[in-house]
Amino acid sequence: MNGPGLGRALPHDSVLHRRNPTVKLAVSFAVALVLLVPVDPWTPAVLLVLALPAATLAGRLGARTVLRALALFTPFALSLLAVNAVTRPGAVLAHVGGLEVTTTGLTVGGALALRTLLVGLLSVAFTLTTDAGRLMTSLHQHARLGPRATFAVLAGYRVLEQLPERWETVRRAQAVREPARRPGARLPSDPASLARAAFTVLVVSLRQGERLAIALEQRGLGAGPRTVARPVPLDRRDLVLAVVVLGAVGVVLLASWRSGVLRTWSTVG
Amino acid sequence: MSAARARVTLAELVLLAVLAVVFGFLYWALVQAWGALQLAMGPFGDLAQHVLIGGWMVAAPLAVYVVRKPGVGIVVELVAAFVEVAFLASPVGPTLLVVGLVQGAGAEAAFALTRYRRYGWGVFALSGVLAGLASTALGVVRFGWLGQDWFAWRLGLQVVSGLVLCGLLARVIGDALARTGVLDNTALGRARRGRTATGPSEASVEPAGPDDVEVQVDERTGAR
Repeated sequence: MNGPGLGRALPHDSVLHRRNPTVKLAVSFAVALVLLVPVDPWTPAVLLVLALPAATLAGRLGARTVLRALALFTPFALSLLAVNAVTRPGAVLAHVGGLEVTTTGLTVGGALALRTLLVGLLSVAFTLTTDAGRLMTSLHQHARLGPRATFAVLAGYRVLEQLPERWETVRRAQAVREPARRPGARLPSDPASLARAAFTVLVVSLRQGERLAIALEQRGLGAGPRTVARPVPLDRRDLVLAVVVLGAVGVVLLASWRSGVLRTWSTVG
Repeated sequence: MSAARARVTLAELVLLAVLAVVFGFLYWALVQAWGALQLAMGPFGDLAQHVLIGGWMVAAPLAVYVVRKPGVGIVVELVAAFVEVAFLASPVGPTLLVVGLVQGAGAEAAFALTRYRRYGWGVFALSGVLAGLASTALGVVRFGWLGQDWFAWRLGLQVVSGLVLCGLLARVIGDALARTGVLDNTALGRARRGRTATGPSEASVEPAGPDDVEVQVDERTGAR
Protein backbone atom coordinates (compact mmCIF):
# COMPACT_ATOMS: atom_id res chain seq x y z
CA MET A 1 0.00 0.00 0.00
CA ASN A 2 1.59 3.25 -1.03
CA GLY A 3 -1.33 5.32 0.24
CA PRO A 4 -1.53 7.17 3.53
CA GLY A 5 -0.56 5.31 6.66
CA LEU A 6 -4.09 4.17 7.57
CA GLY A 7 -4.45 6.38 10.62
CA ARG A 8 -0.92 5.95 11.84
CA ALA A 9 0.80 9.26 12.54
CA LEU A 10 4.34 9.80 11.29
CA PRO A 11 6.62 8.56 14.09
CA HIS A 12 8.09 11.89 15.12
CA ASP A 13 7.07 14.84 17.25
CA SER A 14 5.97 18.23 15.90
CA VAL A 15 3.81 21.21 16.74
CA LEU A 16 0.90 19.66 14.85
CA HIS A 17 1.42 16.24 16.48
CA ARG A 18 0.98 17.81 19.92
CA ARG A 19 -2.22 19.71 19.15
CA ASN A 20 -5.58 18.38 20.28
CA PRO A 21 -7.05 16.02 17.61
CA THR A 22 -10.62 17.26 18.10
CA VAL A 23 -9.49 20.87 17.59
CA LYS A 24 -7.54 19.89 14.46
CA LEU A 25 -10.54 18.03 13.04
CA ALA A 26 -12.93 20.88 13.85
CA VAL A 27 -10.63 23.52 12.34
CA SER A 28 -10.14 21.59 9.08
CA PHE A 29 -13.91 20.98 8.94
CA ALA A 30 -14.57 24.71 9.35
CA VAL A 31 -12.02 25.62 6.66
CA ALA A 32 -13.47 23.03 4.24
CA LEU A 33 -16.98 24.44 4.78
CA VAL A 34 -15.89 28.07 4.32
CA LEU A 35 -14.11 27.08 1.11
CA LEU A 36 -17.44 26.03 -0.40
CA VAL A 37 -18.24 29.75 -0.87
CA PRO A 38 -15.51 31.20 -3.16
CA VAL A 39 -15.45 29.96 -6.78
CA ASP A 40 -12.65 32.16 -8.12
CA PRO A 41 -9.22 30.55 -8.49
CA TRP A 42 -7.39 33.33 -6.62
CA THR A 43 -8.75 32.75 -3.11
CA PRO A 44 -7.90 29.04 -2.90
CA ALA A 45 -4.60 29.64 -4.73
CA VAL A 46 -3.40 32.16 -2.13
CA LEU A 47 -4.55 29.88 0.70
CA LEU A 48 -2.75 26.93 -0.90
CA VAL A 49 0.47 28.94 -1.17
CA LEU A 50 0.15 29.82 2.53
CA ALA A 51 -0.90 26.34 3.68
CA LEU A 52 1.79 24.36 1.84
CA PRO A 53 4.82 25.65 3.81
CA ALA A 54 2.77 26.08 7.01
CA ALA A 55 1.57 22.47 7.12
CA THR A 56 4.92 21.08 5.97
CA LEU A 57 6.87 22.97 8.65
CA ALA A 58 4.39 22.73 11.54
CA GLY A 59 3.98 19.00 11.03
CA ARG A 60 7.60 18.39 9.95
CA LEU A 61 6.11 16.32 7.15
CA GLY A 62 8.89 16.67 4.61
CA ALA A 63 8.40 18.23 1.18
CA ARG A 64 8.52 14.89 -0.61
CA THR A 65 5.68 13.37 1.45
CA VAL A 66 3.48 16.41 0.88
CA LEU A 67 4.14 16.54 -2.86
CA ARG A 68 3.48 12.82 -3.24
CA ALA A 69 0.16 13.23 -1.42
CA LEU A 70 -0.81 16.15 -3.65
CA ALA A 71 0.12 14.09 -6.72
CA LEU A 72 -2.45 11.51 -5.60
CA PHE A 73 -5.16 14.19 -5.60
CA THR A 74 -4.12 15.77 -8.92
CA PRO A 75 -6.15 13.49 -11.26
CA PHE A 76 -9.32 14.34 -9.34
CA ALA A 77 -8.48 18.06 -9.46
CA LEU A 78 -7.63 18.04 -13.19
CA SER A 79 -10.81 16.17 -13.99
CA LEU A 80 -12.85 18.85 -12.18
CA LEU A 81 -11.03 21.54 -14.17
CA ALA A 82 -11.64 19.73 -17.48
CA VAL A 83 -15.35 19.12 -16.99
CA ASN A 84 -16.08 22.66 -15.84
CA ALA A 85 -14.04 24.21 -18.64
CA VAL A 86 -16.26 22.69 -21.33
CA THR A 87 -19.70 22.59 -19.68
CA ARG A 88 -20.29 26.14 -18.44
CA PRO A 89 -21.90 28.87 -20.55
CA GLY A 90 -19.80 32.01 -21.08
CA ALA A 91 -17.36 33.71 -23.44
CA VAL A 92 -15.89 31.02 -25.70
CA LEU A 93 -12.10 30.82 -25.61
CA ALA A 94 -11.43 27.83 -27.83
CA HIS A 95 -13.01 24.78 -29.47
CA VAL A 96 -11.61 21.40 -28.49
CA GLY A 97 -13.04 18.46 -30.41
CA GLY A 98 -16.57 19.87 -30.67
CA LEU A 99 -16.62 21.19 -27.10
CA GLU A 100 -16.52 24.87 -26.19
CA VAL A 101 -13.99 26.02 -23.60
CA THR A 102 -15.37 29.10 -21.81
CA THR A 103 -13.69 31.64 -19.55
CA THR A 104 -16.31 31.12 -16.84
CA GLY A 105 -15.70 27.39 -17.08
CA LEU A 106 -11.94 27.80 -16.69
CA THR A 107 -12.40 30.14 -13.70
CA VAL A 108 -14.81 27.89 -11.84
CA GLY A 109 -12.93 24.72 -12.79
CA GLY A 110 -9.64 26.21 -11.62
CA ALA A 111 -11.26 27.23 -8.34
CA LEU A 112 -12.71 23.78 -7.70
CA ALA A 113 -9.42 22.07 -8.64
CA LEU A 114 -7.40 24.29 -6.30
CA ARG A 115 -9.98 23.81 -3.55
CA THR A 116 -9.56 20.03 -3.92
CA LEU A 117 -5.77 20.30 -3.57
CA LEU A 118 -6.08 22.60 -0.54
CA VAL A 119 -8.61 20.44 1.32
CA GLY A 120 -6.59 17.35 0.37
CA LEU A 121 -3.49 18.98 1.87
CA LEU A 122 -5.35 19.66 5.12
CA SER A 123 -6.57 16.04 5.23
CA VAL A 124 -3.06 14.72 4.71
CA ALA A 125 -1.61 17.04 7.37
CA PHE A 126 -4.31 15.85 9.78
CA THR A 127 -3.85 12.12 9.10
CA LEU A 128 -0.07 12.18 9.19
CA THR A 129 0.06 13.97 12.56
CA THR A 130 -2.85 12.30 14.36
CA ASP A 131 -2.80 8.93 16.10
CA ALA A 132 -6.10 7.02 15.78
CA GLY A 133 -6.26 6.01 19.45
CA ARG A 134 -5.56 9.56 20.59
CA LEU A 135 -8.19 10.90 18.21
CA MET A 136 -10.90 8.64 19.61
CA THR A 137 -9.90 9.37 23.22
CA SER A 138 -10.04 13.08 22.48
CA LEU A 139 -13.41 12.79 20.71
CA HIS A 140 -14.70 10.99 23.80
CA GLN A 141 -13.26 13.61 26.17
CA HIS A 142 -13.87 16.81 24.24
CA ALA A 143 -16.58 16.09 21.68
CA ARG A 144 -18.67 14.14 24.24
CA LEU A 145 -18.84 11.08 22.00
CA GLY A 146 -20.24 8.14 24.02
CA PRO A 147 -17.88 5.31 25.03
CA ARG A 148 -19.85 2.75 23.03
CA ALA A 149 -19.54 4.77 19.82
CA THR A 150 -15.86 5.50 20.50
CA PHE A 151 -14.97 1.87 21.09
CA ALA A 152 -17.04 0.70 18.13
CA VAL A 153 -15.08 3.04 15.84
CA LEU A 154 -11.81 1.88 17.43
CA ALA A 155 -12.83 -1.74 16.83
CA GLY A 156 -13.53 -0.75 13.25
CA TYR A 157 -10.10 0.85 13.15
CA ARG A 158 -8.50 -2.46 14.23
CA VAL A 159 -10.24 -4.11 11.29
CA LEU A 160 -9.08 -1.35 8.96
CA GLU A 161 -5.44 -1.74 10.01
CA GLN A 162 -5.47 -5.36 8.90
CA LEU A 163 -7.49 -4.83 5.72
CA PRO A 164 -4.61 -4.39 3.22
CA GLU A 165 -2.91 -7.56 4.47
CA ARG A 166 -6.22 -9.46 4.54
CA TRP A 167 -7.04 -8.32 1.00
CA GLU A 168 -3.67 -9.60 -0.22
CA THR A 169 -4.10 -12.95 1.59
CA VAL A 170 -7.59 -13.53 0.20
CA ARG A 171 -6.53 -12.56 -3.33
CA ARG A 172 -3.61 -15.01 -3.27
CA ALA A 173 -5.65 -17.79 -1.69
CA GLN A 174 -8.30 -17.45 -4.38
CA ALA A 175 -5.73 -17.22 -7.17
CA VAL A 176 -3.93 -20.36 -6.05
CA ARG A 177 -7.19 -22.35 -6.31
CA GLU A 178 -7.69 -21.24 -9.92
CA PRO A 179 -7.28 -24.44 -12.01
CA ALA A 180 -6.01 -22.67 -15.14
CA ARG A 181 -3.42 -20.61 -13.28
CA ARG A 182 0.25 -20.91 -14.22
CA PRO A 183 2.75 -20.59 -11.33
CA GLY A 184 4.22 -17.09 -11.07
CA ALA A 185 1.45 -15.46 -13.10
CA ARG A 186 0.11 -12.10 -11.93
CA LEU A 187 -3.00 -11.97 -9.74
CA PRO A 188 -6.16 -11.75 -11.90
CA SER A 189 -7.59 -8.24 -12.05
CA ASP A 190 -10.91 -8.82 -13.81
CA PRO A 191 -13.97 -7.36 -12.03
CA ALA A 192 -15.34 -10.81 -11.15
CA SER A 193 -12.31 -11.91 -9.17
CA LEU A 194 -12.00 -8.49 -7.51
CA ALA A 195 -15.65 -8.65 -6.45
CA ARG A 196 -15.17 -12.21 -5.16
CA ALA A 197 -12.21 -11.08 -3.06
CA ALA A 198 -14.10 -8.03 -1.76
CA PHE A 199 -17.01 -10.23 -0.66
CA THR A 200 -14.72 -12.68 1.13
CA VAL A 201 -12.93 -9.81 2.89
CA LEU A 202 -16.33 -8.47 3.98
CA VAL A 203 -17.36 -11.86 5.42
CA VAL A 204 -14.08 -12.39 7.29
CA SER A 205 -14.14 -8.82 8.65
CA LEU A 206 -17.73 -9.18 9.89
CA ARG A 207 -16.71 -12.37 11.69
CA GLN A 208 -13.76 -10.55 13.30
CA GLY A 209 -16.10 -7.71 14.28
CA GLU A 210 -18.42 -10.14 16.05
CA ARG A 211 -15.50 -11.52 18.07
CA LEU A 212 -14.38 -7.97 18.94
CA ALA A 213 -17.89 -7.07 20.10
CA ILE A 214 -18.04 -10.12 22.38
CA ALA A 215 -14.63 -9.23 23.82
CA LEU A 216 -15.75 -5.64 24.49
CA GLU A 217 -18.98 -6.79 26.15
CA GLN A 218 -17.08 -9.20 28.39
CA ARG A 219 -15.01 -6.25 29.60
CA GLY A 220 -18.20 -4.54 30.70
CA LEU A 221 -18.18 -1.80 28.09
CA GLY A 222 -21.28 0.37 28.25
CA ALA A 223 -22.19 -0.98 31.72
CA GLY A 224 -21.38 2.24 33.59
CA PRO A 225 -19.27 5.40 33.68
CA ARG A 226 -15.69 5.00 32.48
CA THR A 227 -12.38 6.64 33.22
CA VAL A 228 -9.82 7.51 30.53
CA ALA A 229 -6.42 5.82 30.71
CA ARG A 230 -4.28 8.37 28.90
CA PRO A 231 -6.21 11.66 28.74
CA VAL A 232 -5.49 14.01 25.83
CA PRO A 233 -4.70 17.58 26.92
CA LEU A 234 -6.67 20.55 25.64
CA ASP A 235 -5.09 23.94 26.42
CA ARG A 236 -4.42 27.48 25.28
CA ARG A 237 -2.04 26.42 22.51
CA ASP A 238 -4.91 24.61 20.78
CA LEU A 239 -6.88 27.84 20.88
CA VAL A 240 -3.89 29.61 19.29
CA LEU A 241 -3.84 27.05 16.46
CA ALA A 242 -7.55 27.57 15.80
CA VAL A 243 -7.27 31.37 15.90
CA VAL A 244 -4.21 31.44 13.61
CA VAL A 245 -5.68 29.13 10.96
CA LEU A 246 -9.20 30.57 10.93
CA GLY A 247 -7.79 34.11 11.14
CA ALA A 248 -5.57 33.52 8.10
CA VAL A 249 -8.53 32.17 6.12
CA GLY A 250 -10.61 35.18 7.20
CA VAL A 251 -7.93 37.68 6.18
CA VAL A 252 -7.48 36.06 2.76
CA LEU A 253 -11.25 36.01 2.15
CA LEU A 254 -11.52 39.66 3.21
CA ALA A 255 -8.59 40.67 1.00
CA SER A 256 -10.00 38.88 -2.05
CA TRP A 257 -13.40 40.49 -1.44
CA ARG A 258 -11.94 44.02 -1.09
CA SER A 259 -9.70 43.61 -4.15
CA GLY A 260 -12.71 42.45 -6.19
CA VAL A 261 -11.45 38.99 -7.24
CA LEU A 262 -13.82 37.07 -4.96
CA ARG A 263 -16.58 35.25 -6.83
CA THR A 264 -19.41 33.17 -5.44
CA TRP A 265 -22.01 30.99 -7.16
CA SER A 266 -24.39 33.96 -7.21
CA THR A 267 -21.95 36.25 -9.02
CA VAL A 268 -20.58 33.66 -11.43
CA GLY A 269 -23.97 32.89 -12.99
CA MET B 1 -41.47 0.52 18.04
CA SER B 2 -40.51 0.90 21.70
CA ALA B 3 -37.46 2.85 22.74
CA ALA B 4 -35.75 -0.18 24.26
CA ARG B 5 -36.02 -2.16 21.05
CA ALA B 6 -34.86 0.78 18.98
CA ARG B 7 -31.63 1.25 20.96
CA VAL B 8 -28.65 -0.05 19.04
CA THR B 9 -26.64 -2.65 20.99
CA LEU B 10 -22.85 -2.67 21.23
CA ALA B 11 -22.60 -5.73 18.97
CA GLU B 12 -24.69 -3.91 16.35
CA LEU B 13 -22.56 -0.78 16.70
CA VAL B 14 -19.40 -2.79 16.08
CA LEU B 15 -21.06 -4.50 13.14
CA LEU B 16 -21.95 -1.07 11.70
CA ALA B 17 -18.38 0.13 12.26
CA VAL B 18 -16.97 -2.92 10.48
CA LEU B 19 -19.39 -2.50 7.56
CA ALA B 20 -18.44 1.17 7.39
CA VAL B 21 -14.71 0.45 7.53
CA VAL B 22 -14.75 -2.24 4.85
CA PHE B 23 -16.91 -0.10 2.56
CA GLY B 24 -14.88 3.01 3.41
CA PHE B 25 -11.74 1.12 2.41
CA LEU B 26 -13.33 -0.20 -0.78
CA TYR B 27 -14.58 3.32 -1.67
CA TRP B 28 -11.08 4.65 -1.10
CA ALA B 29 -9.54 1.88 -3.24
CA LEU B 30 -12.14 2.65 -5.91
CA VAL B 31 -11.11 6.31 -5.90
CA GLN B 32 -7.44 5.37 -6.25
CA ALA B 33 -8.22 3.08 -9.18
CA TRP B 34 -10.53 5.67 -10.70
CA GLY B 35 -7.99 8.50 -10.72
CA ALA B 36 -6.03 7.44 -13.79
CA LEU B 37 -9.12 6.53 -15.78
CA GLN B 38 -10.78 9.82 -14.86
CA LEU B 39 -7.77 11.70 -16.18
CA ALA B 40 -7.79 9.69 -19.41
CA MET B 41 -11.47 10.42 -20.03
CA GLY B 42 -10.92 14.16 -19.72
CA PRO B 43 -14.16 16.13 -19.30
CA PHE B 44 -16.22 12.93 -19.41
CA GLY B 45 -14.36 11.51 -16.41
CA ASP B 46 -16.46 13.71 -14.16
CA LEU B 47 -19.65 12.33 -15.68
CA ALA B 48 -18.39 8.79 -15.26
CA GLN B 49 -18.37 9.20 -11.48
CA HIS B 50 -22.17 9.28 -11.61
CA VAL B 51 -22.22 5.77 -13.00
CA LEU B 52 -20.41 4.60 -9.88
CA ILE B 53 -22.06 6.87 -7.31
CA GLY B 54 -24.55 4.20 -6.21
CA GLY B 55 -21.74 1.90 -5.14
CA TRP B 56 -20.58 4.59 -2.71
CA MET B 57 -23.89 4.58 -0.89
CA VAL B 58 -24.61 0.83 -0.78
CA ALA B 59 -23.59 0.53 2.87
CA ALA B 60 -26.66 2.48 4.07
CA PRO B 61 -29.50 0.25 2.77
CA LEU B 62 -27.38 -2.81 3.59
CA ALA B 63 -27.01 -1.69 7.21
CA VAL B 64 -30.76 -1.02 7.54
CA TYR B 65 -31.49 -4.43 5.99
CA VAL B 66 -29.21 -6.19 8.50
CA VAL B 67 -29.86 -4.26 11.73
CA ARG B 68 -33.43 -2.98 11.07
CA LYS B 69 -33.40 -0.04 13.47
CA PRO B 70 -33.94 3.67 12.80
CA GLY B 71 -30.82 5.72 12.10
CA VAL B 72 -28.40 2.90 11.31
CA GLY B 73 -28.20 3.82 7.62
CA ILE B 74 -27.12 7.34 8.52
CA VAL B 75 -24.72 6.09 11.20
CA VAL B 76 -22.98 3.67 8.85
CA GLU B 77 -22.51 6.32 6.15
CA LEU B 78 -21.22 8.82 8.73
CA VAL B 79 -18.69 6.32 10.09
CA ALA B 80 -17.60 5.35 6.57
CA ALA B 81 -17.05 9.04 5.80
CA PHE B 82 -15.22 9.52 9.10
CA VAL B 83 -12.91 6.59 8.30
CA GLU B 84 -12.11 8.05 4.89
CA VAL B 85 -11.44 11.50 6.33
CA ALA B 86 -9.65 10.73 9.59
CA PHE B 87 -7.71 7.61 8.66
CA LEU B 88 -7.37 7.58 4.86
CA ALA B 89 -6.93 11.31 4.09
CA SER B 90 -9.69 11.67 1.50
CA PRO B 91 -9.22 14.60 -0.91
CA VAL B 92 -12.84 15.59 -0.26
CA GLY B 93 -11.93 16.47 3.31
CA PRO B 94 -14.29 16.78 6.29
CA THR B 95 -17.10 17.88 3.94
CA LEU B 96 -17.41 14.15 3.30
CA LEU B 97 -19.18 13.88 6.67
CA VAL B 98 -21.96 16.06 5.26
CA VAL B 99 -22.01 13.92 2.11
CA GLY B 100 -22.35 10.76 4.21
CA LEU B 101 -25.13 12.30 6.26
CA VAL B 102 -27.15 13.40 3.23
CA GLN B 103 -26.66 10.17 1.26
CA GLY B 104 -27.42 8.03 4.31
CA ALA B 105 -30.57 10.01 5.05
CA GLY B 106 -31.69 9.68 1.41
CA ALA B 107 -31.16 5.92 1.40
CA GLU B 108 -32.81 5.42 4.78
CA ALA B 109 -35.92 7.50 4.00
CA ALA B 110 -37.48 4.65 2.02
CA PHE B 111 -37.21 2.25 4.97
CA ALA B 112 -38.49 4.90 7.38
CA LEU B 113 -41.60 5.21 5.17
CA THR B 114 -42.38 1.53 5.80
CA ARG B 115 -41.55 2.02 9.51
CA TYR B 116 -38.66 -0.47 9.12
CA ARG B 117 -41.06 -3.35 8.53
CA ARG B 118 -40.86 -4.14 4.82
CA TYR B 119 -37.73 -5.27 2.97
CA GLY B 120 -39.02 -6.14 -0.48
CA TRP B 121 -37.23 -5.28 -3.73
CA GLY B 122 -39.47 -2.24 -4.22
CA VAL B 123 -38.37 -0.64 -0.96
CA PHE B 124 -34.72 -1.19 -1.88
CA ALA B 125 -35.31 0.30 -5.34
CA LEU B 126 -36.95 3.38 -3.79
CA SER B 127 -34.09 3.65 -1.31
CA GLY B 128 -31.55 3.72 -4.13
CA VAL B 129 -33.51 6.31 -6.11
CA LEU B 130 -33.88 8.58 -3.07
CA ALA B 131 -30.17 8.25 -2.31
CA GLY B 132 -29.37 9.25 -5.89
CA LEU B 133 -31.66 12.29 -5.66
CA ALA B 134 -30.17 13.37 -2.30
CA SER B 135 -26.67 13.01 -3.68
CA THR B 136 -27.56 15.10 -6.76
CA ALA B 137 -29.04 17.85 -4.58
CA LEU B 138 -25.80 17.99 -2.64
CA GLY B 139 -23.75 18.15 -5.85
CA VAL B 140 -25.78 21.19 -6.92
CA VAL B 141 -24.67 22.94 -3.73
CA ARG B 142 -21.03 21.79 -3.82
CA PHE B 143 -20.15 22.02 -7.50
CA GLY B 144 -22.87 24.23 -8.97
CA TRP B 145 -24.15 21.51 -11.32
CA LEU B 146 -27.30 23.49 -12.14
CA GLY B 147 -25.21 26.02 -14.09
CA GLN B 148 -23.65 23.32 -16.26
CA ASP B 149 -24.83 21.96 -19.60
CA TRP B 150 -25.14 18.32 -18.56
CA PHE B 151 -27.41 18.58 -15.53
CA ALA B 152 -30.10 16.23 -16.93
CA TRP B 153 -27.43 13.62 -17.68
CA ARG B 154 -26.01 13.94 -14.19
CA LEU B 155 -29.44 13.57 -12.58
CA GLY B 156 -30.43 10.60 -14.74
CA LEU B 157 -27.17 8.73 -14.27
CA GLN B 158 -27.20 9.31 -10.49
CA VAL B 159 -30.74 8.00 -10.11
CA VAL B 160 -30.13 4.90 -12.25
CA SER B 161 -26.84 4.21 -10.50
CA GLY B 162 -28.49 4.68 -7.11
CA LEU B 163 -31.28 2.30 -8.11
CA VAL B 164 -28.95 -0.48 -9.28
CA LEU B 165 -25.67 -0.12 -7.37
CA CYS B 166 -27.11 1.17 -4.09
CA GLY B 167 -30.67 -0.12 -3.67
CA LEU B 168 -30.84 -3.45 -5.48
CA LEU B 169 -27.18 -4.35 -4.88
CA ALA B 170 -27.65 -3.89 -1.11
CA ARG B 171 -30.36 -6.56 -1.09
CA VAL B 172 -28.18 -8.90 -3.17
CA ILE B 173 -25.15 -8.43 -0.87
CA GLY B 174 -27.30 -8.75 2.25
CA ASP B 175 -28.83 -12.04 1.10
CA ALA B 176 -25.43 -13.39 0.04
CA LEU B 177 -23.93 -12.45 3.42
CA ALA B 178 -26.84 -14.04 5.26
CA ARG B 179 -26.30 -17.29 3.35
CA THR B 180 -22.71 -17.49 4.64
CA GLY B 181 -23.97 -17.45 8.25
CA VAL B 182 -22.03 -14.40 9.50
CA LEU B 183 -25.27 -12.50 10.06
CA ASP B 184 -27.01 -15.24 12.09
CA ASN B 185 -26.99 -13.09 15.23
CA THR B 186 -28.55 -10.04 13.55
CA ALA B 187 -32.14 -9.01 12.88
CA LEU B 188 -31.73 -10.18 9.27
CA GLY B 189 -30.50 -13.62 10.35
CA ARG B 190 -33.35 -13.98 12.85
CA ALA B 191 -35.92 -12.92 10.26
CA ARG B 192 -34.62 -15.52 7.80
CA ARG B 193 -34.67 -18.27 10.39
CA GLY B 194 -38.21 -17.31 11.39
CA ARG B 195 -39.30 -17.61 7.77
CA THR B 196 -37.79 -21.04 7.15
CA ALA B 197 -39.10 -22.42 10.47
CA THR B 198 -42.73 -21.55 9.72
CA GLY B 199 -42.69 -22.25 5.97
CA PRO B 200 -43.07 -25.71 4.41
CA SER B 201 -39.91 -27.82 4.45
CA GLU B 202 -38.08 -27.79 1.13
CA ALA B 203 -37.81 -31.57 0.78
CA SER B 204 -41.56 -32.04 0.55
CA VAL B 205 -41.99 -29.43 -2.21
CA GLU B 206 -39.28 -30.86 -4.46
CA PRO B 207 -40.60 -33.03 -7.30
CA ALA B 208 -39.22 -36.55 -7.08
CA GLY B 209 -38.45 -38.95 -9.90
CA PRO B 210 -40.34 -42.30 -10.04
CA ASP B 211 -37.28 -44.17 -8.73
CA ASP B 212 -36.90 -42.45 -5.38
CA VAL B 213 -40.56 -42.12 -4.37
CA GLU B 214 -40.15 -44.78 -1.72
CA VAL B 215 -37.05 -43.15 -0.29
CA GLN B 216 -38.85 -39.82 -0.04
CA VAL B 217 -41.76 -41.34 1.87
CA ASP B 218 -39.31 -42.99 4.23
CA GLU B 219 -37.57 -39.68 4.88
CA ARG B 220 -40.85 -37.95 5.55
CA THR B 221 -42.13 -40.46 8.03
CA GLY B 222 -38.73 -40.47 9.68
CA ALA B 223 -38.81 -36.71 10.06
CA ARG B 224 -42.26 -36.44 11.57
